Amino acid sequence: MSAVGTRAKRSDGEAKVTGSAVYTVDFALPGELTARVLRSPVARGRIVKLDVTAAREIEGVWAVLTAEDAPRHRNGLAIKDQVLFASDRVLYEGEPIAVVAADNIEIADRAIDAIVLEIEEEEPVVDLDRAVEDDAPLVHPGWEAFEPAHTDFPRYRNVCAEMTSDPEGVDDAFEAAHIVVEGEYRAGRQYQAYLEPRGVVAEYESGRYTVHVSHQFPFNVRDRMASALGIKPSSIRVVGHHIGGGFGAKLDLGIEPYAALAARATGRPVKLVNDRTEDMLICQCREGAIVRIRTAVDEEGNLLARDMDVLLDSGAAGTDGPYLISIPLILAGAGYRVGPTRVRARTVYTNTAPTGAFRGVSGTHLVFAMERHLDEIANQLGMDRRELRLRNLQEDGDLLLNGQELPDASILREAFDAVEEIAPWSQAGKGENRGVGIASCVWLTNPLSGSVVMKVNEDGTVGLVTGATENGSGAVAMGVTQIAAAELGVTAEDVIVSFPDTDSSPYDAGSQGSRTTHIVGRAVTEAAAELREKIYEVAGRMMETSPADLEIIEGGHVGVKGSPGSQITLAEVATEATAAGQVLSATGSYRTASPKFDPTCATGLLFPVFPTPTYHVHQAEVEVDPVTGKVTVLRYVVAQEVGKVINPDGVMGQVQGGVAQGIGYALYENLSIGKDGRYRQRTLEAYRLPLAQDMPDVEAVLLEHPDPAGPYGAKGVAEPPIVPVAAAIVNAIVDAIGAPIDSIPVLPEHVLDAMDQASKRAEVRS
Amino acid sequence: MILSLVVNGRHVETEFPAGRTLLEFLREQMSLTGTKEGCVEGECGACTVLIDGRPIDSCLYAAHAAAGREVTTVEAVGGMYGLMTPLQKALVEAGGVQCGFCTPGFVMTLTALLDESPQPTRTEVQRALAGNICRCTGYSQIVQAVEEAIGAGE
Repeated sequence: MSAVGTRAKRSDGEAKVTGSAVYTVDFALPGELTARVLRSPVARGRIVKLDVTAAREIEGVWAVLTAEDAPRHRNGLAIKDQVLFASDRVLYEGEPIAVVAADNIEIADRAIDAIVLEIEEEEPVVDLDRAVEDDAPLVHPGWEAFEPAHTDFPRYRNVCAEMTSDPEGVDDAFEAAHIVVEGEYRAGRQYQAYLEPRGVVAEYESGRYTVHVSHQFPFNVRDRMASALGIKPSSIRVVGHHIGGGFGAKLDLGIEPYAALAARATGRPVKLVNDRTEDMLICQCREGAIVRIRTAVDEEGNLLARDMDVLLDSGAAGTDGPYLISIPLILAGAGYRVGPTRVRARTVYTNTAPTGAFRGVSGTHLVFAMERHLDEIANQLGMDRRELRLRNLQEDGDLLLNGQELPDASILREAFDAVEEIAPWSQAGKGENRGVGIASCVWLTNPLSGSVVMKVNEDGTVGLVTGATENGSGAVAMGVTQIAAAELGVTAEDVIVSFPDTDSSPYDAGSQGSRTTHIVGRAVTEAAAELREKIYEVAGRMMETSPADLEIIEGGHVGVKGSPGSQITLAEVATEATAAGQVLSATGSYRTASPKFDPTCATGLLFPVFPTPTYHVHQAEVEVDPVTGKVTVLRYVVAQEVGKVINPDGVMGQVQGGVAQGIGYALYENLSIGKDGRYRQRTLEAYRLPLAQDMPDVEAVLLEHPDPAGPYGAKGVAEPPIVPVAAAIVNAIVDAIGAPIDSIPVLPEHVLDAMDQASKRAEVRS
Repeated sequence: MILSLVVNGRHVETEFPAGRTLLEFLREQMSLTGTKEGCVEGECGACTVLIDGRPIDSCLYAAHAAAGREVTTVEAVGGMYGLMTPLQKALVEAGGVQCGFCTPGFVMTLTALLDESPQPTRTEVQRALAGNICRCTGYSQIVQAVEEAIGAGE
């Protein structure tokens, strides 16, 4: 039986469940030193004194490095606006100022304490609306000189990047509208809260660095670190280990260069691991956002036009923000027909810790805003909320606002139907203090390049060498593994996948954007096609038959088509090939071709398309305790389009895990920033994550519309389950209490406030 | 300061400084890195081990408080290094493992639960897990694994 579609056990499961799996925090090299980083304790100020003399004199301290000892040029993912060490000014709490390497962590911490640091504090830029005013203090007074990492884009003052689209017809449609509905929606930051803090072990030998990481994108560590240190990428070798969760936070360069510089300075391997508080600060958590939407609507509930303004809090560095601000344009017209739409999106510098990628980048707050807004439109029209959505659904062949065609947009209607079948809307959320909410989204499968080397070992097992990373999702340990097994007719247990090593692995663009199973799986099918030809050539020689007459037979055999008795094992073929001086290996690579779009539709559109789109509907039923404000999720239903299920446990794990993170985002996970620019929640005690008892049993319907370009039809799976959750939950809360809430997270006190205000309004009316 | 205790069935007597945690002792002195450090404040439960069969957060537990006691870690919860209990097997088979960093803590907490209450209800399982955070799975498949393990034991 083909391994695809089965509940094959994940290949790393046994190692993880017995504690033998080695993560970077567990990895050690002989003679390694421990490093700690001195970070700015304040959000903005001028360094007036930095003296490391006393720290360097402590016994057991091997090195204390500051900006004096490191390259001073700027680096960055999209815009080069970061320095390795602050020297003159500090721009956010947590900004690195010095790194210490010592015999052990106690000595390193003592050395950190012995560094004399005086900072003249200044008022930080924190508020987004204030930051974009013309007279706001500049976070980066030198912004004009910053170089883009690739192409440049519109930017000015505290606006790190701006994307605008202003098509014809918007104002006319607003003039002609029956009603215009306006809303302002806010979302806080969200910490990825992977359980393994960021860590690195670095070595330096003969002019080359070796960096051991638990990172989602080892090739990006190599390239970004090379840029930051001003050296060739090939001077850095990045070796991947088991990853204790990432969710996007382990995609950009992080603490790796600090361990590397310390290793070079000391001649010893150096380990650096974040403590939880500094991890929260420098992880690049999900950005906070303000989304303002106006929509023109006619009497029947048809959406006529839209005007949307989006502010994203980039923190003190651009990171991936200049790419993310394309997403509002795409999502503003995805799923529903909205008419001509004006979009302005800005990612804004503030004196706060930089933000970055988290599962469902930007989609979570944009979909929250747009789907809350749809409920408000329905309420103002006195129309059923689900009916409003169905009325405006896109059909096959409709265009996104970027001009990209959605040939299969009607899948979204199918998803609405699938949810309706198991949890009929008219019966949902009934009863006192109960409510129902529904929300949808369209999401992409990241198209970036992936590649593999595939080989048959002499014992008939299959080896895969790839830079792809198993971040926990199962995309490698299940998806790619099972695809490789199916391609060569072996079991999933007989496929051995390498850990990434940038010296020897072919390139991979990292576990991001739900891409691994789709892209790397397709690379495997490409490699396997070539590998089978080589297998047939050798087997044909052994069996004295034409290679064209041979086929793979399940169970690790090669046989003659139509002649079941005539077969040999893959092990025999591989052994013969090796003896004959041949290699049974092949390479495969893949990148999704970019869909056509209209490049004139916007300026600053760095991330212009949504390749391999998928369609999703979520429905939540909640109960609100009117005394405490506590929200309980009673029922949660998902219809998710996946292309093809490679492993049902793997897909369900992504759906349930994504929904859990979405429930946390909606209800518990509060990462707020004080006027001083510092995070108020600094531990996992203060930052409340969802627990087992918070979680409903997620009921999920998986829709399969195989993608002809995907391996066995598979599309991206992992990101979409988090995207519509906050929208569905908050719409349900608002339904339950009859009062609007337009800001997440919705903590119990926010529920009580909203109920209180609603009752005051009712009193005024009566 | 001499510390004398039983770790995974073997008697250990060694010099270990006072004031350090059991987690540090296990990871650094014993090289038992299966027990994880996630937060060092007793929130995440990744450091859970059994002391005389009861689950504790080893990140908050003084190593010397374990003197004379029996400590069990994930590496040997199956009775021998590398041997898996029905619960561990079920966690793999039911999709209860993703990134795996929290998994050792879940294994230890659930092992203690099943020792005390061999047929827990779903609510009892969820309550027992109040001190263990998993960021990947959304918990459902972990709870399912417990149910499969109970079924397998019948």
